[in-house]
Amino acid sequence: MNDVVIPSRNHTGPVHAAGVSIKDLRKSYGSNEVLKGISLEVAPGEVVCLIGPSGSGKSTLLRCVNLLEQPNEGTIHVGGFEATDLDVDIDKMRRKVGMVFQQFNLFPHLNALRNCTIAQTKVLKRSQSEADKVAQANLDRVGLGHLADRFPDQLSGGQQQRVAIARALSMDPELMLFDEPTSALDPETVGDVLSVMRNLAKEGMTMLVVTHEMGFAREVADRVVFMDGGVVVEEGVAEKVISTPTQGRTKEFLKRVLDPTHIEISE
Amino acid sequence: MAMTARQRARVSLYVQAGIFVVAVAALILATDWKTVTDNVFNFAKIGPMFPDIILIGLKNTLIYTFLGFIVGLSGGLLLALMKLSSFPLYRWIATGYIEFFRGIPALLVFIAFGYGVPLAFGVQWNVTVVVMVSLGMVAAAYIAETLRAGLQAVPKGQVEAARSLGMPQWRAMVTIVIPQAFRIVLPPLTNEVILLTKDSSLIYVLGLTASQYELTKFGRDGISSLGAGLTPLLVAGAFYLVITIPLSLLARKFESRSARTKR
Repeated sequence: MNDVVIPSRNHTGPVHAAGVSIKDLRKSYGSNEVLKGISLEVAPGEVVCLIGPSGSGKSTLLRCVNLLEQPNEGTIHVGGFEATDLDVDIDKMRRKVGMVFQQFNLFPHLNALRNCTIAQTKVLKRSQSEADKVAQANLDRVGLGHLADRFPDQLSGGQQQRVAIARALSMDPELMLFDEPTSALDPETVGDVLSVMRNLAKEGMTMLVVTHEMGFAREVADRVVFMDGGVVVEEGVAEKVISTPTQGRTKEFLKRVLDPTHIEISE
Repeated sequence: MAMTARQRARVSLYVQAGIFVVAVAALILATDWKTVTDNVFNFAKIGPMFPDIILIGLKNTLIYTFLGFIVGLSGGLLLALMKLSSFPLYRWIATGYIEFFRGIPALLVFIAFGYGVPLAFGVQWNVTVVVMVSLGMVAAAYIAETLRAGLQAVPKGQVEAARSLGMPQWRAMVTIVIPQAFRIVLPPLTNEVILLTKDSSLIYVLGLTASQYELTKFGRDGISSLGAGLTPLLVAGAFYLVITIPLSLLARKFESRSARTKR
């Protein structure tokens, strides 16, 4: 990875970037405590990558942010909303929070354009023509404007994931959540998805990304958070956490994930 | 002399074909063809059935089936959603309904709505309404189970994606889940329509005026009036096949289509 550049961007971001504030978050499934008191701050326009072994709770943490999982304890603030307030208008909050799934979850009965317009017309009550315009612009943005009339099963995995990103962006979110967006992809299509995400980061979108792509985390993330066993073990500037981790568990994990011939981990 | 596996298979095939030919021949020889021709294949005398069996009988069978299906589909969808509800009372009601109406003969339901309801409440329903309600309520029980399976076959990720775009639960159901569920259940749903077509014949237990006759009633009527034995029933049966065979082909087409697009 010779082309790794650490972007120095200021984090004013676009006017509508939301921050996230998580305090003492706990989540259990039965007697199995998956999140054991997580606190995390994401500033508006910041890109934070969550890394860690499978089962460490990073996906659960991400899914708690837009309440796909209901946390047991602690607080989450997203933009102007307190997600953990029981009276919060969940649907209104979720409009501000785009989510990209590992398995894409495109709507198979709708073509790419309709995938991007359905929530605009049904939730935001935009007119069909306005929604079409927004959707087309976002499909162009992810490089798939020419495939707007294709159905999901006529697209490759990488193309589907980019449509899924365009679908989320069509709602004008202030925060984007990515749950292992490239884990289900063929290796040759990973790059296209990552480059879309890279551009999004450059535009100042607040992004919380669960990923195993260390190259991407190093290059694009402002901060990296390493989780293991339901707690945050280590967090800091991406380059620093990945290149010179201080915690034993972080070193152990990175050693297993990274190709040691390319990136040296100082002991 | 030992036979190879292939020879054994061929001999076995000859034996099976032989048994079949002998059985058919025996049946043909044992049949009293004079009686059969007079009573089952007596097509010379069925002229008076036409054109009314088509213009009234076939038309009414189609109308009754269609109305029953509409009620069954709406009721079935409601029951399926109730059965999947997180609210236990809804689940109990739906389960009770489905078990009850699947468990009793449809004929009893026709009698109940045709004679029981007028007796109990003093209202006399139009025959069309009785068929629509009776057929629809039975169909709803069967369709509910079909739709429930379809709704459950839509991956959970679809709801999560819809909800994460800000859709309320009902909206995610209506816009994302139900359309996909219907595609999945199109083949079994077509089979339900075939069953309904045949069940519409149960209307014979009600008192009908001539303009309300459907195919089976025409057939039964023909038996007593035409002196052609059971031939009129054969004719009525043929018209059922005119409806059901295309439906079967349609179901098969849906099946192969969904098999192709399944990933």
